[in-house]
Amino acid sequence: MKHFMHWMLQLAVAFIGILLISGLPILINGFQKGEFWWREYGEHLLVIFPLNHFLDTYFSSYIGESIFYSLEILFLALLVSVFFALSFTVMTMLFKERARQRIKTLFFFLESLPDILVILLIQLLVILVHRHTGVFMRIASTGGEKIYLLPVFCLMILPMVQLYRLSMLTFEAEERKLYVELARSLGFNKVIILLIHIFRNAIISIFFQSKKTMWFMLSNLFILERMFNMPGIMFHLSEHLTGELFLITVCSFFLPVFIVYSFFEWYFLRRTSRGGATL
Amino acid sequence: MKLLWKQPYFVIGFLILTFFLIGSFVFEWINGSDPKQTYFLMEKGRVIEAAPLSPSWIHPLGTDQYGYDMFAKIMLGAKYTIISAMGVAAVRMLIAVPLGFVIGTYWQKRRTTINSFIDPLHYVPMTIFSYLMLYPVLWEPMEGFSTTVWERIVIQVALMAIITVPIVASLIGNEANLLYQQEYILASRTLGASKSRIITRHLFPMMREKLFVLYGQQVVETLVVFTHLGLLQLYIGGTDVSYDPMMGDPPNSIAYEWAGLFGSSFRYLQGVPWLPLGPAICFALVILAIAAMIEGYTRAVSGQVKIPKRKKVLFVSDKTVEWNQKQLKEKIQLLYKEK
Repeated sequence: MKHFMHWMLQLAVAFIGILLISGLPILINGFQKGEFWWREYGEHLLVIFPLNHFLDTYFSSYIGESIFYSLEILFLALLVSVFFALSFTVMTMLFKERARQRIKTLFFFLESLPDILVILLIQLLVILVHRHTGVFMRIASTGGEKIYLLPVFCLMILPMVQLYRLSMLTFEAEERKLYVELARSLGFNKVIILLIHIFRNAIISIFFQSKKTMWFMLSNLFILERMFNMPGIMFHLSEHLTGELFLITVCSFFLPVFIVYSFFEWYFLRRTSRGGATL
Repeated sequence: MKLLWKQPYFVIGFLILTFFLIGSFVFEWINGSDPKQTYFLMEKGRVIEAAPLSPSWIHPLGTDQYGYDMFAKIMLGAKYTIISAMGVAAVRMLIAVPLGFVIGTYWQKRRTTINSFIDPLHYVPMTIFSYLMLYPVLWEPMEGFSTTVWERIVIQVALMAIITVPIVASLIGNEANLLYQQEYILASRTLGASKSRIITRHLFPMMREKLFVLYGQQVVETLVVFTHLGLLQLYIGGTDVSYDPMMGDPPNSIAYEWAGLFGSSFRYLQGVPWLPLGPAICFALVILAIAAMIEGYTRAVSGQVKIPKRKKVLFVSDKTVEWNQKQLKEKIQLLYKEK
């Protein structure tokens, strides 16, 4: 119960923080004219009360639909990137030390490619493929239709590289621990040690460190929706930038992500504190 | 320091960065501040190609729709882009480093509370945050800008630096606090060292390398945000918006900085792919250069050497090894049987 209260407090603090941020443009506008518009800022903060009035004015079924679409893309891309990152990690762990080092350096440079270049190159590739073979994939949506394949593919690449680097580090740190040595001396196969013993210990610490990747993906999604003309909430925000819409958008991502993360955090902590292995 | 110049990654990154930075100033000094304009190419008295010209030997990156040479535009704009990214990161570090040390040493007990306030910032994507903050500053209103270009650049750099100060400061604070629990710091505290002395004598020297790496990461992050803002048509130093309802020009950037070059030409990807690709590739090159410098630097300071090639021992042949293994197996099997 104490845990739950703490969780609620965290949620409230986060919400207040986002609310305070959403009003900042008013202050900046004021500063440019050399005045301090604290009264307007205060009025903005009170805009969410009463809540149902706020929702009636700024929330519509269209916005709800676009929020859902954006979340779909985000979580699909996350799942795909986690899957590929983990399977690549397990594959590279089977290599020898020297080869591993090279692969890691390569991925370090891949990671620092800017996302716009990746998206541009993929779009260009699709155009080229279309020109030469006539196979066509949607590179931009028109008239508000929903496209999935290419956006998810573009969105997953860079998070996958980041997660791969992260999980390589964790797996390698885990590999040096004593229980791995014990398992090896008992004659277990390398693949089995990796998949059963290292994997379930590493996955917890990878999960705790993956928050930053999530943050990165949100920025990425914003750009992606813009470049693909997708009818998602981020695109809507970039067309009509207001403090209120900003509040709705950020909350619509913050709430699900926060709930999912705190659930898993609670679950993992409970499992590990009992001393048993997880998964 | 000498070790640094022996790291190939660092040297390559440094060369690319200086090429763009020094090259930009030299280019302006030689060719003036306006790029060359070519309307069409003639061959044997006939027009063979009109602007936008595709990349060729004379125009390595092609020209834009008005015939301006893209390579010249990129070289002219390089200094603005790179210097402002470095400026943003520098201002951010200047504020965040002292703040982080204060959080890590003086406010240790309040640290968890401070962190729980800063944590939600992680859920506000950096691009959206800076878009929201910078829109009133950089987007030209109907009645024209009330600020000058330099004022806008200063405001932009300051704002972009400040919005991630809390995150960087809490990062440094956590790191400093970890160090603060070390034994040698405990020893010097027992001997009566003040907190400010511990910061200047122990924490800062211990974290100097990490702070350099952090600075590099901040520059990269800022460059990425610049590209995003460019796509959203917020350019460094402000966006010229034409409110003419009939034949309005598209939003323009000042002084050919890269975010503007990329953002204004992105829609032409299908017809004239070299227009957005040129600046995008240059962004990628600069980011890669900084990443390479970071990698080289960490290798130099951590003293990590290349893993030497394992020498094969010559005088033991594979046969001998096999025979040994066989013997071992038999012995083990014997042991089992005895049990």
